Amino acid sequence: MPESPTEVIPRIEDEPEHGLYGGHGEYGDEDDPYYDHDYDHDEELDADEQPAPDVPADGPVRKTVRTVGELFITAGLVMLLFVIYEVYVTDWISAGKQADAAAELNKEWGSNTVGGDQQRSAHYSLADGQGFAKLYIPTFGPDYKFTIVEGTTDADLEIGPGHYKGTALPGQQGNFAVAGHRVGKGAPFNDLDLLNSCDAIVIETQTDWFVYRMLPKQDEIAGWAEGKGKAAKCATNKVQPLGAPYDKTVGQEIVLPTQGAVIAPVPYGQPPSAGQQAALLTLTTCHPQFSAKERLIVHAVLSRQIPKAQLKAGETPQELKER
Amino acid sequence: MYAWIWRHLPGPIALRIALATLLVLAVLALLMFVVFPWAEPKLPFNHVTTG
Repeated sequence: MPESPTEVIPRIEDEPEHGLYGGHGEYGDEDDPYYDHDYDHDEELDADEQPAPDVPADGPVRKTVRTVGELFITAGLVMLLFVIYEVYVTDWISAGKQADAAAELNKEWGSNTVGGDQQRSAHYSLADGQGFAKLYIPTFGPDYKFTIVEGTTDADLEIGPGHYKGTALPGQQGNFAVAGHRVGKGAPFNDLDLLNSCDAIVIETQTDWFVYRMLPKQDEIAGWAEGKGKAAKCATNKVQPLGAPYDKTVGQEIVLPTQGAVIAPVPYGQPPSAGQQAALLTLTTCHPQFSAKERLIVHAVLSRQIPKAQLKAGETPQELKER
Repeated sequence: MYAWIWRHLPGPIALRIALATLLVLAVLALLMFVVFPWAEPKLPFNHVTTG
């Protein structure tokens, strides 16, 4: 190249090494001075001023195509990062909030000793986003334990499973309904689809333990007495289909997000007179995983209530040891 | 775009690498703690309630 200044010659010897460091040689075809108008012509760059003869110069088209390509790759990376956020980062954020709620509830239960009189009726201090009960599902392992908070807004559910406001409270007649995340945010109900009929779902309140058992699934009802109903868990705890008006209340169902009737005192039915209702527990989460298309619903019925006063200090119901 | 950013980072190669890492971390933090929490409720991935 005739226009090359003479002082460049020693630098050419440095060129291969320079390129290895990923300096100006990293994107070889970008290094000609026409690439960018504000490209500084400091003496360091002069070595790169000669593009290889078979590499075409960067025109506006080439620059546009490259930038668009880079934007697409960036968009892809951002989406990948969103998945990481949804599945891992929210878990991490929620774990802290869940631990805080549990600590607060333990403090409340510890400081507020229940006297003889109050044992008759459980008292709950229900404030939005505050824990008031604990949930155990022994089938999911001995470490499966969540503090249930009041309310089902996004902020509430970020802390833990949330109680639908206005539905029954643990142990009461009616339908104690709880929503929980299936992916991220601690994912309390990640494995809800793996729960089987007669599996125990245990709720701890300040005064009592309530053992609920999942109702028979739709396809098990027909042959219940001769089939699944004979399994030890079901027979000893007398779990059976509830009958009218609960004929549509089955252990597991998948419904549309609009079907709010699943958390009614009698799902899809008219409640019988007060005092005649069963004490149900309903868990709701999204279905299928990573989708908000449908909801996975699990219904359970109260099987046993154990006042804490009947247990020794620190003793837990035997159901917690079931697998 | 990325090449343009790289060329406009000042200093020797080590400083440039440090600055580029800082930039990447800043963008990551912005996404994780500001953009994604804002966008998430608007996306249909994780709605769990009925009615």
